[in-house]
Amino acid sequence: MSPRRSPRSSPRKPHAATPRPRWSAVARTPLGACAGLLLLAVIALAVLAPVLWSGRASVVDTGALQQGPSGAHLLGTDNLGRDILYRVLVATRLSVSLAVAATLLGVSLGLVLGAAPAVLPRRAGRLVTSAVNVTVAFPGLLLALFFAVIFGVGAKGAVLAIGLATAPAFARLTHTLSASVAGRDHVAAARTLGVGRLRLLTRHILPNIAEPLAVNATIGAGASLLAFAGLSFLGLGVQAPDYDWGRLLGEGLDRIDLTPAAALAPCAAVVVTGLAFNLFGEAAAAALGIRTLRHRTTSPRPAPQAPSKGSDRKRESRPVLLVEDLQVALPGPSGWSTPVRRVSFTLWPGEAVGVVGESGAGKSLTAMAVSRLVELPAHVTAHRLEFDGTSLLGPGPRELRALLGTSMAMVFQDPMSSFNPVMSVGRQLAEVAEHHRRLSRRSAFEQAVDQLRAVRVPAPERRARQYPHEFSGGMRQRAMIGMGLMGDPKVIIADEPTTALDVTVQRQVLRLLDTVRTERATAVLLISHDITAVARTCDRVLVMYAGRIVEDLPAAGLLTEARHPYTRALLSAVPDLDTDRNRPLAVIPGRPPQPHRLPPGCAFAPRCPRSDDLCRRKDPRPVTYATGQRVACWHPVEGEPAPKAPPGQGAAEHGGPGPRLERAANGDVEESTGGPTV
Amino acid sequence: MSELVFDGVSVRYGTRRHALTAVDGARLTVPGGQVVGLVGESGSGKSTLARAAVGLAPLSAGRVLVNGTDTRRSRGRRRPVQMIFQDPYSSLNPRMTVAASVAEAFPRERGGSRAARHAEVARLLGQVGLDADLAALLPGQLSGGQRQRVAVARALAARPQVVIADEITSALDVSVQGAVLNLVRDVQRELRLTMLFISHDLAVVRYVSDHIAVMYLGRIVEVGPTEEVLADPRHPYTRELLAAVHGHTAGPRKDAETVTDTEPADPHHPPSGCRFHPRCPEGPAVRAEREVCRTDDPVSDAASRPRRTACHFATATATATALPERGLRDRVRENGNP
Repeated sequence: MSPRRSPRSSPRKPHAATPRPRWSAVARTPLGACAGLLLLAVIALAVLAPVLWSGRASVVDTGALQQGPSGAHLLGTDNLGRDILYRVLVATRLSVSLAVAATLLGVSLGLVLGAAPAVLPRRAGRLVTSAVNVTVAFPGLLLALFFAVIFGVGAKGAVLAIGLATAPAFARLTHTLSASVAGRDHVAAARTLGVGRLRLLTRHILPNIAEPLAVNATIGAGASLLAFAGLSFLGLGVQAPDYDWGRLLGEGLDRIDLTPAAALAPCAAVVVTGLAFNLFGEAAAAALGIRTLRHRTTSPRPAPQAPSKGSDRKRESRPVLLVEDLQVALPGPSGWSTPVRRVSFTLWPGEAVGVVGESGAGKSLTAMAVSRLVELPAHVTAHRLEFDGTSLLGPGPRELRALLGTSMAMVFQDPMSSFNPVMSVGRQLAEVAEHHRRLSRRSAFEQAVDQLRAVRVPAPERRARQYPHEFSGGMRQRAMIGMGLMGDPKVIIADEPTTALDVTVQRQVLRLLDTVRTERATAVLLISHDITAVARTCDRVLVMYAGRIVEDLPAAGLLTEARHPYTRALLSAVPDLDTDRNRPLAVIPGRPPQPHRLPPGCAFAPRCPRSDDLCRRKDPRPVTYATGQRVACWHPVEGEPAPKAPPGQGAAEHGGPGPRLERAANGDVEESTGGPTV
Repeated sequence: MSELVFDGVSVRYGTRRHALTAVDGARLTVPGGQVVGLVGESGSGKSTLARAAVGLAPLSAGRVLVNGTDTRRSRGRRRPVQMIFQDPYSSLNPRMTVAASVAEAFPRERGGSRAARHAEVARLLGQVGLDADLAALLPGQLSGGQRQRVAVARALAARPQVVIADEITSALDVSVQGAVLNLVRDVQRELRLTMLFISHDLAVVRYVSDHIAVMYLGRIVEVGPTEEVLADPRHPYTRELLAAVHGHTAGPRKDAETVTDTEPADPHHPPSGCRFHPRCPEGPAVRAEREVCRTDDPVSDAASRPRRTACHFATATATATALPERGLRDRVRENGNP
């Protein structure tokens, strides 16, 4: 991840706010619990076994040399007649403690080496890093053997050898992790405050990388156990009269044909203990989420095998998208939540509809659900969900891809992640035509170049041969739109397409979408948190709040005819070039509700200056006005003719608009919400 | 009140062929107790300029002065310039409580007792409109707006003479953005802080700032009092920015549109002469006679033009169409000259 993000990142998605994971979560997974128990058992054995059985393990019984398993000796005896079972049990302490000692040595050395570049002056730090990089290149066991020879044969030498051999890998890990944390803003902030390097390391960097390091150390302990057994087996580790599992294995191996238990028992001990360490580490890693996060795997690229049905494109009467009572449910720790609730809208050919709202309002999820990109465990239901007259609810994934592949184009906020980084942009566009229209490689590429020209990419012949990273953000977004257009789509769903772009470039991309729409009668569903951008580009605006469309109105009337207090508040919260600089900006107090903790009544009621008892008790249903405007509010901001809703629904039930409503119609919403409240 | 001066600041990364001059000889003065808004597109060097002021980016030329003292001399714990970062999700250490993050910023000499520090943290949290109970929480338990308030409190805790706010609202929702802007404005006025306010959003900058500076490809191309710059922009790039905000007022200039549709210049290979000329709707790409834009750098004699505009035709193309609001300007003047 690059340390410097684009200066225009959108409002963050909720994942950033998740509480940090805890170690107790590890024990709650089945694997974690088993591994933890196993590890505890091994540790208990290491502590207790020598106390309980060291006497019996060293009793020499000359009457029972090299016996097989029997009632007296469950696993048989060795060449001095000592009981092998007890010897294996007693050896636990030495084996485990030596492995742990070696790991500790390796980890602490690695930690020092890995953290040093963050503390040392730049040049010295670079030297350390290069040295570590060189040593990482040597295989660990080879290093261990090398050191074992240097430090001499014996347990102490082996500990040093294995410890030193594990250090470079750990140093590398520490360095990589701390470098990624060091790039974050909170470290920059601490440096700005004049915080010293050492404190920077101990307070800001190490705590943030402690968990992955601990997990890797646990896994490392398993590896050192194995390495130790290896060294002892080779005779380079523990020397007589001490014994560990490796030594026992070495002794037992000579007679593996006669008394296999003598060799297999220490083997099993090594395997079980190693597994305990490794599994615990793995389980911890999984539970703490250290493994690479799974990203959304959906590709906006049109799927290849779509049938082309260009003939029935011109039927104007049919909506491109018909959505009725769309609902998306997500399982959570406290039961199912519905981040998208009963969303209904239609999108006509050539129409541009904008979806606005705060982050977490369900804008993106709605778009994903409509394009059937929401994956399990999320659950999508709808009364009707039709694309160009075909229901999207029935068919399986294959048919869906065939249906939507080329006729629905998706444009995401970050076009970089939507392109294949190792393929030229032209090739990626051409692939669509190649599969879809069965064109030859060459003519498909020509088509791609034409398409790039159509989306106003300058010098398209040259740019088609370039890779995505050679494109600027705006150009990449254009190429993305061009790729969607290769399949001749009926609708383009653009999810925050300009959020990562500059204002001037943003205008260009929006203008391009507009051109495409007018020239090809492609419908556009534009999702954005920027209400002014939407108002400028779209015919109609859907305002979403807490998973529901609270208002649906023509974009032209956004500033004058918005009836929902939320729409009004949203509009007045955005400063423009006419905002009075001497008055505080209007704000919306409070926060949007969490999808799993929705209030019983109107979701906006707790933040709404017009709310009353009815609002808190009963959720308003959308009411359609004569102009086609839909508003879900008990006390809409009036000023226009009365709604044509049937009596008993909407404001009529509450006795119609009162004098209070007229006051707020003058834009007084901001007055009552003024003052800094978050 | 302290004055922040960028005196010919350049920041250069890399060497030779890979060299990138992120900031090129920037001259900018932030008068004491006032707010200068810095606008420009991403990659124009706004953030680099800010980071240079707090020592996070190396200066390859020039100086950053606070009250005439070079900031590089104020080593150690007491830093006169503090910064509020863009992303409140990464600018707070997730493993440090709010109280610890704020207390870390206290100047060392004011160590004091534990209770005194607690009281000071509570006072600062109150100043940014947060409940003192939040002090014990970790950033993960706060909303984006709350985090940004903590970041403001931390910056204030260091008792800075100058505060730099780098895109502090662009990671926030519009409903929260207003609250944070109100807070920053209130705090700035109350403490009479000197502030450099960076944003890509001209409307936000206008709301907060007394002066506006426009940056393009590492250079400051126009500086002036807010209402003058907005009412009568001299540099074509400023006009483009304004048109992007106004949207409809851009007008149907088909040829000019194709010019501005061209890609932003590569900062590794900046164009010759005026850096804006390939995209300029009034430059040589549209008007063939303006060859001078390709050859001569307008920055060299910018000081002689009104508002230090880096454009050869700053006076020629200036259109005094809209006069600034009289009342507004007077009020801003009052605020500016205490």
